[in-house]
Amino acid sequence: MATDLANSTSDQLEISCQSCGARLVLEAHLRSTLCPYCASPSIVSRPPSPNRPSPTFLVGFVVDHEHATKTVKNWVAGSHIFARSDFKAAVPELTRGVYLPAYLYVAVANTRYSASIGENYTETETYTTTDSKGKTVTRTRTVTKTEWRPLSGNHCCYVLDVLVSASQGVTNAALEAVEPFDLRALRRYADSFISGWLAEEPSRTQDDCFRLAHDETIAKVGAMLKNFMPGDSHSNLEYQTDLSHEVIDLVLLPIWTYAVRYAEDRPPIQILVNGQTGRVAGKVPVSAAKVTFAVVGVLLLIGILFLLFLAAQG
Amino acid sequence: MNETQIAEFNCTRCESPLESGDLRCAICGQAALNDQTVQRKKLAIQILRCTGCGAAITYDPKHQAPACSFCGDVVKVESIDDPMEQTEHYLPFTVTADEARAALRGWLDSRGWFRPSDLSASAQLTQLKPLWWVAWVFDAEAFVSWAADSNEGSGRSDWAPHSGQNNIQFDDILVSASRGLSLNEAAAISPGMNLATKRKTPEGADRDATLERFDVQRSQARQEVSAAIHRIATQRAQQHFIPGTRFRNVKVAIVLRRLVTRRMSLPAYVLAYRYKDQLYRVVICGQDIRLMVGTSPKSLIKMIAVALVVAAIGMLFLLILAAGS
Repeated sequence: MATDLANSTSDQLEISCQSCGARLVLEAHLRSTLCPYCASPSIVSRPPSPNRPSPTFLVGFVVDHEHATKTVKNWVAGSHIFARSDFKAAVPELTRGVYLPAYLYVAVANTRYSASIGENYTETETYTTTDSKGKTVTRTRTVTKTEWRPLSGNHCCYVLDVLVSASQGVTNAALEAVEPFDLRALRRYADSFISGWLAEEPSRTQDDCFRLAHDETIAKVGAMLKNFMPGDSHSNLEYQTDLSHEVIDLVLLPIWTYAVRYAEDRPPIQILVNGQTGRVAGKVPVSAAKVTFAVVGVLLLIGILFLLFLAAQG
Repeated sequence: MNETQIAEFNCTRCESPLESGDLRCAICGQAALNDQTVQRKKLAIQILRCTGCGAAITYDPKHQAPACSFCGDVVKVESIDDPMEQTEHYLPFTVTADEARAALRGWLDSRGWFRPSDLSASAQLTQLKPLWWVAWVFDAEAFVSWAADSNEGSGRSDWAPHSGQNNIQFDDILVSASRGLSLNEAAAISPGMNLATKRKTPEGADRDATLERFDVQRSQARQEVSAAIHRIATQRAQQHFIPGTRFRNVKVAIVLRRLVTRRMSLPAYVLAYRYKDQLYRVVICGQDIRLMVGTSPKSLIKMIAVALVVAAIGMLFLLILAAGS
């Protein structure tokens, strides 16, 4: 149904609620909205474009609002000892459950690598030492030494399930912090899954996302190569990866977003909850006073120990 | 699962068959959607309504499906398909129960010098059960990158590093999914299976035959097959590609293509016999009487006698050495 369009600009879209007729303004980066008067959920389907393709997949929400809020409260209260006290006592405010756009990237990675491989061997060597009576004696011991051998070769593998955020509002690092998502529960996208929820359109260009996905993939390959190296140890690992057979699909991921306002003069902290697994992540503000106290305390302790040591020597 | 559900179409990238309900290729991750979505040409706004009461529907995390907030009706959605594995084909028994019984006697007689002398005469057959055990059989093409240490080219250390890439063709590789047979038992009788004799129904055994069922879901089955491919590729790399005779740290990375997995039920006889109040078990391939595996008693007296003889020879040798010095 392509009706009820009152007005549209490149940034905002003005629509009429199909239930009560109220005029609603929809931000350009949103795919769905709720009428503030009658709570009717509207879904917007825009013609796809290269930077705004239609979603291919979706992971549905499993964690509900109540559970997410409880998890965030526990997470905030249980943050590490250097967290600010006002942060620990703050009440998280829910912004919304949102379907976050992300790209699911898969590729074949062909890597040329070279490294020095350490192969250990043992040798018996003689050494001189003084025994308990103060005499110089010669003894033998077994020592482990490493023989370094060059190795170069090719490594070819599939790299699956690299997820990168396509939203300007959530950095890729923030998304990584609440990963993994169980992609076995991936569903074919349908409008009905986002009905009543906020769903974002991609706000990063596909080129940007490709670049992010490449970087993440190459980092993954690096981690694989470290495990792939034979020998007892390795060093100077260098590699060059070519990615081919790349596929990128838009997927909507369930995220609960919370804001924690802990001080008047500080911006609120964004906390994300994985809407499928309940995993929480966010940047905890560190208390400068607590860190200073800790440093001073450690220095004092070292000073006291040093004085005690001097006293004992004296 | 019936055959029409399998190999409905192949992945466009790695050419492995996709199965019913697959949204992505399990091997290479390529999206495998039938293009059911209509590409919008114009902007459209819609409210999804309950077909029962007309109220708006919203997605409900409790049901993991869209539901009507007014009448509670849950909208049926495409379910996430992870069915239990099911046998597609059975291999028939070509060995009869009498032949299996006779084979057991022959096997007991051939247990070597340490077997009790009366083993064949005194062993009482207590059970002979035909069993169709379950297994995956797969074909695949693999491009394998490997790296390993071997003794070839070693210097001061016993080991030297090597690397390479090779193609491996897997044809009719059998991976046991059985809980009834141990991995050793399944491996011992697997070479006797003639996969060309597959049938739609179990044939060639009594009605009281045990039909084992797969007890894993498709996703776990894929993991098990994938682990088996990795294991076999590692073995093949050692046997055929890595230079040297001793190996360690064998690592492989695999790019698979055309992985076709079949779910089969394979015939075996499970026999139990009693010898002096102890139960022993033997498994015989249901298609090749020569392939059997099992446990049998050892004669304690013979073992003690051998130990004494070895000890006596050792003592004698020491005495000769002492006399010589």
